[in-house]
Amino acid sequence: MTDRGLFDPGLQPERTALAWRRTCLAVVVLSLGGARLMAPRLGATAVVLGVACAAAGVVLHHLAGSRQRRHTAHLLTDGHLRDATTSAHLLLLLTVVGVVMGVTAAAFVVVRGFSPAG
Amino acid sequence: MSTRSAPEQPSRFPRAVYGVGDEPDPRFSLANERTFLAWIRTSLALLAAGVALEGLSLPLQPDLRLAASLLLVVLGLLTPLQAWRGWARDERAMRTGTPLPSPALALPLTVGTSVTGVLIVLGVLFR
Repeated sequence: MTDRGLFDPGLQPERTALAWRRTCLAVVVLSLGGARLMAPRLGATAVVLGVACAAAGVVLHHLAGSRQRRHTAHLLTDGHLRDATTSAHLLLLLTVVGVVMGVTAAAFVVVRGFSPAG
Repeated sequence: MSTRSAPEQPSRFPRAVYGVGDEPDPRFSLANERTFLAWIRTSLALLAAGVALEGLSLPLQPDLRLAASLLLVVLGLLTPLQAWRGWARDERAMRTGTPLPSPALALPLTVGTSVTGVLIVLGVLFR
């Protein structure tokens, strides 16, 4: 049965979902803003990668919501997350998005910083 | 709290984490996930700062600005990897009841951001 201790005043799954949401929001905004800023230097590559990362951010934002509902349901019934099909796929996807954004940013800084035009 | 032995869960990824030990208190797992997300946001901030420095042509001495910018994007590129690795190590440690390891990137990140700050100050002074 439900252990009252699971639900501290902050409501764990909700707090976690909110952390996902603000992270995804930052990914979407920075991907599109970055693509806009880098397009003159990196061309279509920046736009394609920016839109891809933004799309991933939107998808992750959506998945984080369903993950929250699943977690809450399981915590209320079993008191653990073992059978809540909790996997780290979302975390891995977000890691990949972060690395892609990082590589793109590094490429932009190198191209812009070392170009004769300055 | 609930620490029943976890049976083989082929559906849970990654196996290296979920294949060992017992299920920890779910609050700890969720807190670990939020820590991962905080590292990701740190990475986004570093990347945004690095790109903005160079991309917006901020009025600093160009070489110092480029050095600061490169340092920021390199740190921002390493941080997501730290986020993933740290999450996996911490989750594993909680499942096996061993002490939590410290984040491997904590010192480089501290030194790197400090150096960046110095470079920016110099870049403002010598522009």
